[in-house]
Amino acid sequence: MNSDSNTSNNSVVSNLVKILRENIQTYAIVVALIIIWTLFSAMTEGRFVGPQNFSNLFRQMTITSFLAAGMVLVIVTGNIDLSVGKLAGFVSVVVAKFQDDIWTQVFPEQGVLTTALSVLIGLAVGTGIGLIQAYIIAYLKVPAFIVTLGTMWIMNGAILLVTEGKTIAADQPALKVIAQGYLPANVGWIIAVGVVALLFYGMVSGRQKKRSYGFELAPLYLDLLKTIFFSVLVVGYVYMVNQYNGFQIPVLLLAITVVALTYLSNNTRFGRYAYAIGGNREAARLSGVDIRKNIFSVFVLMGFLCGVGGVVLASYVGYGTIGAGQSYELDAIGSAILGGTSTLGGVGTIFGAMVGSLILTSLGTGLQIMNIQAAWQYMVKGIVLVVAVFGDVYLRRNR
Amino acid sequence: MTDNIKVENDIILDVKNVTKNFPGVVALDDVTVQIRRGEIHGFCGENGAGKSTLMKIFSGVYPYGEYEGKILYEGEELHLENGAIRKATEVGIATVYQELTLVPTMTVGENVYMGREPVEKGGINWDKLYADTQKLLTRYSLDIQAHDLISRLGVGKMQMTEIAKALSEDAKVLILDEPTSALTDAEIEQLMDILRRLKGHGVTCIYITHKLEEFFKIADSITVLRDGKVVTSQPTENLNVEKLVNYMVGREMSERFPKSKREPGSVLLEVKNLHAADPNESSREIVKGASFNLRKGEILGIAGLMGSGRTELVMTIFGEYGKITEGTVTLNGKELHIKNANDAMHEGISLVPEDRKTHGLVLMQSILQNISLPNLDQFASWMRIDDLAELNASLQYAKSLEIKTPNLFVPCDSLSGGNQQKVVISKWLMSKPQVLIMDDPTRGIDVGAKYEIYKLMNNLAQQGIAIVMISSELEEVLGMSDRVMVMCEGKSAGTLDIAEATEEKIMALATGIANGNGRSAG
Repeated sequence: MNSDSNTSNNSVVSNLVKILRENIQTYAIVVALIIIWTLFSAMTEGRFVGPQNFSNLFRQMTITSFLAAGMVLVIVTGNIDLSVGKLAGFVSVVVAKFQDDIWTQVFPEQGVLTTALSVLIGLAVGTGIGLIQAYIIAYLKVPAFIVTLGTMWIMNGAILLVTEGKTIAADQPALKVIAQGYLPANVGWIIAVGVVALLFYGMVSGRQKKRSYGFELAPLYLDLLKTIFFSVLVVGYVYMVNQYNGFQIPVLLLAITVVALTYLSNNTRFGRYAYAIGGNREAARLSGVDIRKNIFSVFVLMGFLCGVGGVVLASYVGYGTIGAGQSYELDAIGSAILGGTSTLGGVGTIFGAMVGSLILTSLGTGLQIMNIQAAWQYMVKGIVLVVAVFGDVYLRRNR
Repeated sequence: MTDNIKVENDIILDVKNVTKNFPGVVALDDVTVQIRRGEIHGFCGENGAGKSTLMKIFSGVYPYGEYEGKILYEGEELHLENGAIRKATEVGIATVYQELTLVPTMTVGENVYMGREPVEKGGINWDKLYADTQKLLTRYSLDIQAHDLISRLGVGKMQMTEIAKALSEDAKVLILDEPTSALTDAEIEQLMDILRRLKGHGVTCIYITHKLEEFFKIADSITVLRDGKVVTSQPTENLNVEKLVNYMVGREMSERFPKSKREPGSVLLEVKNLHAADPNESSREIVKGASFNLRKGEILGIAGLMGSGRTELVMTIFGEYGKITEGTVTLNGKELHIKNANDAMHEGISLVPEDRKTHGLVLMQSILQNISLPNLDQFASWMRIDDLAELNASLQYAKSLEIKTPNLFVPCDSLSGGNQQKVVISKWLMSKPQVLIMDDPTRGIDVGAKYEIYKLMNNLAQQGIAIVMISSELEEVLGMSDRVMVMCEGKSAGTLDIAEATEEKIMALATGIANGNGRSAG
């Protein structure tokens, strides 16, 4: 066995083909996304990819994307979480209640302080309920399907209790910023430059480290190509959104979340153990992995992300409503699966789930712009999900 | 049916110049072989030699068009397409796989007629189903009942069910792939009887096994494959085990077991009168009084019949099975209280499990990820795993164990059995154990890879690691151990020094004859 091929060193074309084949699933969904965008552009005379719609599209997908990101890890470990929609909804309603009702009795001025407190409470509620679920699932060994289904019903009731059947306003300026705020154009550019610099730094230091171990390096042009590709994406995105109102704050929050979660999945023991548990639970157990602790952590994390999603939801809508979070779990699960997460566990990426979420949101808004009624939107989403997964299964079988 | 049924000289399967390629690998290279009707035809060869590939062509897994060459079945070209696997069974080619394909929650009858249940007025005709099953079982003298629940049957009887299933479809050719790897000696004898009876009924059997001695009990002729080519195909009477091994590896294998001079050191691990209960059913004892000592740098073989509790014993010591109710486990004088695999690892005990695919590896993950899984703490600071350090360390183990792979990112399910086992061993060596427990380490591995693992074990013992080796192959136990502990019905029946150990003595202890009423003599 030669260590040389642990890092590649063959011809240009074969390298590119290899990368393509290894990541074909990720590329497939990105291509699908581009096709959908192109189709909708054509059918709406270009309105679909106009700056305003582009900006709104990304803003809109953030809420369920927080949920989808957490859902990836849940499904990877072989579990499911049906409560995420209603839990996020409950958080949004709690936040609204504090903002509209409770703080006014304690702190008459509606300032940043009260909003900050509301946000913290929202996060705490999400994490707390996630904690309870996590304990029941991981340590009391009640199946996740049942526990989260039960929580979903409980949260539904809780939403009705807190709202007392009414809609609660949550449109204080400090709260609005979270989901409806934008960064000024130059700040957006600073971020873009910063990210590009980080990407190049990462590439260079990665190569140096490999060299220090005596591993053979991938050809420079390949690494450069990858780094430039992502840099172009970042710069392109900032350019597009700056044409409207600037970099959306909720998207910034989501980006930070995605980076953090991807790091967790790939570079920490927690992530490795999660994928091993999903891949072969018995083998993981016999390899010394603490399965209960890992599954516990996964569900606590999911709860926290529901808290984030709920806060953003309250800010986005500006109200706490009785229907808050309805069906979000389906979008979260659908996004994860479209993005390549396998229902059998052990496989799945956060990035893929984000693309999946973009696809589902694009379908929704695209059909909306074309003035097609909501009923068809649901149908199209369902058909796309099934077709996409079929395509994936088919490709896998014939590889 | 008389014993001297003449094996007719008519060829039921005539394989002519069959070649099958996979990307980068020639699995079958111009294979020509003839299988006579009514004979028991053995196939042997190292892993990767092409046996399974050829069987998969016969059974339709690789349909017509996915290979070159011609195969004549009963004189006509075998043309399996469009549901080839189904077609193969319809024309009478049936396979009994190593991994049994039965539904444990159903009965023998339900499994035998799965998918072909007799139907009457839109519903299943259960009476006919069970009657037909019973007729079949009686006809071939299979010692199971049609109403038996699969989950209550031992592996041997499960296998009989699989055979019955094949026969119910009027199999003319029965392919048995490694049928005896999970059977006790008694069950193996039963299987041999069944095959002889089938031969009497005119059924042709293709028999694949790594246990070469079995060919000489039952096969009429043997074909040896190596690197996809037919090395030889002869009547059994012209062959013996040494010749077979020669043909298989293409070189003189004068000794199956590498020699090693070593002097075991002081006692490292002491297990005294260990009793353990089933974790799911605390009233049931699974270890009923086991004791042994293990010294530094020695290989202790643990022999015993299937079901004697060897795996349960070591899994209990490893902290991942039974609950200890009595007795002690002491390492370096310190009494251990191991609650799970992680504890065991930290105390310096590692376990290479019996079933590498379900318990030893996460097959969908890469070699690298598997090797490092129990050892990630070595490469992690705070939250971050240093993936280059991980790769570096894993490479060293993969190199020293000579794992055959282009790189460590290959998923484990694409490796051969021998290489998979090496990955499992690597992963446990990386945790630098003092005691390495290996449960049936060479099961399902070809002769060449077995030798490499034996060499490795000797090396490790020489470095001072204490090895416990559970094995069901008496030759392996006698060839590798310094001492042999024999278990019988959950207890230690006795320990023998290698100088005085013989197959007969071990069997006597294992069957409880030596101890009369099986009282522990550890």
